[in-house]
Amino acid sequence: MFPETAQCLKAAAPLFSQTVLLKDLSRLSTHGGGSHLQARRHLSISRCLTSKVRPVRTPRERVEIPGLEAVTYGEKMHYVPGLSKPFHPQWERSYKDPGHYRAPPAHEMPLFKDRSCFVFNQRTSALEGVLQALWLTKTKLISSLPPQLLSLSENPANQIPDQDERVQNAIKHARFWDTTEERPGKERYSNTMMVNLLHLCATLQSSHPAIGRRTQAEKCSLATTWRRGEDLFQIRGQNGLLHTCMDPLPEVSGKQEVSDTADHVLETFYPVSPTINLQKVNVYKEEMNCSGFRDDYPYPHAHTLFFLEGADANCKLRPDQFRAKMLMFTFGNALVRAQKLYGPQRVLDRPVTVQAVGTNGRIFQFMVFQLNTTDLSGDDGIKNQVWLDEDVELYDFAKVRPLIQRKQVKVPAGLAGYKPEAFSKFLSLYLHGAV
Amino acid sequence: MAARTRLPLLFPKNLPPFRNQRLAHTEAAVKEPAYPPIIPSLTAKSKSARGRQVDEQVQKICASPVEEKISLITRIQRMKFVVYPQTFARNADTWYQHFTKTAYIPGLPEKYTLSPERDTGGEEEQPAAAQTTVPGVGHDGFTEIRSLVTRVILQEHWQLRNRAPFLYRKQEQTVGPFLRNLVTGLSFSLAKYNPLFLSSSLDIDPNVHFYWRRGQTIIPKGHRRGRQEPTRFQIDDRPNSQIRITEQLPQFISLEDSYAAEVQEVTLSPSVMPLFRRQYDNNMFTGAKLPDPACYGHTQFHLVPDRYHRDRMARLQQSDQVEVFLRANALTSLFAWTGAQAMYQGFWNHEDVTRPFVSQAVITDGKFFSFFCYQLNTVALSVETDANNPRKNLLWGTESLQLYDSVQDGEVVGLNDDVLKLLVQFLMNKQ
Repeated sequence: MFPETAQCLKAAAPLFSQTVLLKDLSRLSTHGGGSHLQARRHLSISRCLTSKVRPVRTPRERVEIPGLEAVTYGEKMHYVPGLSKPFHPQWERSYKDPGHYRAPPAHEMPLFKDRSCFVFNQRTSALEGVLQALWLTKTKLISSLPPQLLSLSENPANQIPDQDERVQNAIKHARFWDTTEERPGKERYSNTMMVNLLHLCATLQSSHPAIGRRTQAEKCSLATTWRRGEDLFQIRGQNGLLHTCMDPLPEVSGKQEVSDTADHVLETFYPVSPTINLQKVNVYKEEMNCSGFRDDYPYPHAHTLFFLEGADANCKLRPDQFRAKMLMFTFGNALVRAQKLYGPQRVLDRPVTVQAVGTNGRIFQFMVFQLNTTDLSGDDGIKNQVWLDEDVELYDFAKVRPLIQRKQVKVPAGLAGYKPEAFSKFLSLYLHGAV
Repeated sequence: MAARTRLPLLFPKNLPPFRNQRLAHTEAAVKEPAYPPIIPSLTAKSKSARGRQVDEQVQKICASPVEEKISLITRIQRMKFVVYPQTFARNADTWYQHFTKTAYIPGLPEKYTLSPERDTGGEEEQPAAAQTTVPGVGHDGFTEIRSLVTRVILQEHWQLRNRAPFLYRKQEQTVGPFLRNLVTGLSFSLAKYNPLFLSSSLDIDPNVHFYWRRGQTIIPKGHRRGRQEPTRFQIDDRPNSQIRITEQLPQFISLEDSYAAEVQEVTLSPSVMPLFRRQYDNNMFTGAKLPDPACYGHTQFHLVPDRYHRDRMARLQQSDQVEVFLRANALTSLFAWTGAQAMYQGFWNHEDVTRPFVSQAVITDGKFFSFFCYQLNTVALSVETDANNPRKNLLWGTESLQLYDSVQDGEVVGLNDDVLKLLVQFLMNKQ
């Protein structure tokens, strides 16, 4: 609402209080209409605000009796008291005008189905966060990155020359140097930070030619379907930045660990239903399976997804919900690939691995997801696995002006508290599959 | 005593005559002036006082460090002409050449050889692979790059689904990501041949700003009416992407060779162009602030927006303005970039550049590519400094060349190797 409207309404509130309004309405509303317990809102700023609220009168139902046709004033072309109102059928355009189109109600749409489908899109904020995502995707959570990944960046052959200095320069460029003003805004700096870090990692292409077999794509739409229990679920939406590769990622955990996941019990959060906050639709296309590219795409295997917290200005997700979104979309990409390769509803011989990195400009979340099975209808059996490293800070403070309290410098200006482990994890996720 | 001896009437100073011969080859002793030099007053209401104030300010700016220099030069806000690199004005390139003192040379410098057009059949038959290689990149490297470019084109135009472009936003939504992918892919695959890219910095959607003064006008109205005022210009540019490097690119030709070039003069006032004046912050910006180590520019990539796309210009019967638009865009963007780079090194109006600053640009609308090289030889463009300045800035440029004909059934039809070679050569430019 505009701030002026809010101010007018607030100013007008003492003029007619809510309680008076409700009493009036309860007196005025008869048995005919529905209960009007909520006050009607005055959303215009130009009208007088102190007028009485007129009650809504539902139009009288028109009854057609075949033998008795009503005499209307339609032929007379003017109102005559005593004659009834003429009935005109709804006029429909004979041609198609996209500027004036009224969608038919849901049950008349061609794709209407009785069974509803729960859709997870990029603005969904799941109440139970990661737990809900784990239940929906039948996944077991492991709270740290796999050790063979972390050892990738410890190998000096895989490190960038002057790594710390260059990463710090990249952070300073994103946080301070990118604009003519004092500091760039959060959306801009988180985007620039991601681009700069990826640029740094990609300079290793001269020594690791396998990195050349990757490409990036933005804004490709993902759509995939799966069944869980009696419910149908779909993931739809735009991915964010996606790195795809010509070769699939190697699997992270061996066959023994995969079969051990069969003993794991998924955590439920009764009485909250696992479908909470998901968009319930009755009009949908069944068996949607689209990764955003055609089948002959030279880079079909999804490698890493990059999520930015500030990408959507209208949707602010809390950290747990953000991690849930990362997990769902990573799962979606893996599921699309698996269903295209192996078909639906089975345990995979070769698990599909996809990675994800999410950030808000300072704090990173790293995720490696391994899809072991597409048979998600039951709660038992082999589960998928996810290794999640949450809330890894890249640096403590990046301040333009120092924080001074009681004449003591608490936080100096510039970059403070740089932690190199975050970038080494980023680099190891980047190099996974290319070393 | 003079009466007893036979001395001449006038007593000479040096007696005997050879006594001071040892002082014959020394200079006369410098006599310290007893009074300070007579200079104009600083606070009087006179022209010489104003001249002295200006001199003092110039010396103050010359003596201060670079950051202070920039803030002193751009401190005062006055009405200035805002020069748009992508403009609808007709024949904008002649105007912009006059504003920036740039001479346009058609074609590229000798460094970039553009081989004549040959059929693809002839190329394959000839065993000598000289036509399909670029110096520095082998034949295999070039085929790799060719396949990379093909894949990038296909990805954007064929593979990616579910994206119906908005009206008049097709360039931004399809060609923008294509150009970004192309730049990132090419710069990383060429990093092993061009070590400059290993320490380079790639900016996506950066800002480039430059502020300068050139020429003077008479103030028409106001309390300062009738007096001369320098005309101020400002460029605010947003390229699609740019590569900044830590070392400077070598010059194309020497400073002295630019004296012979001719710059087209325009005697009309800039507002006739049409160019409009506004007053706001004077900015000088290469894409990153002063402390960034990558302070020199390598290549900029620009996108032709839907408004100036050649199909729309053809509908408006302005097809001749397509090339003019590209030249004007390259001229202003590169002048602003090189000027800001020179400013970051401490060169400004009264301290002219001692070495030329070189940058390159590629302007494309997805299918047609144009290549431009710019050498900044002088930043001394204002009236006081331009009077005896024979140096001129130089812009080399090509016409727009088609990279591929069309995309049909998952295949790129008619990929032009010469254009690709030129693109690779551009990116291979190094010390």
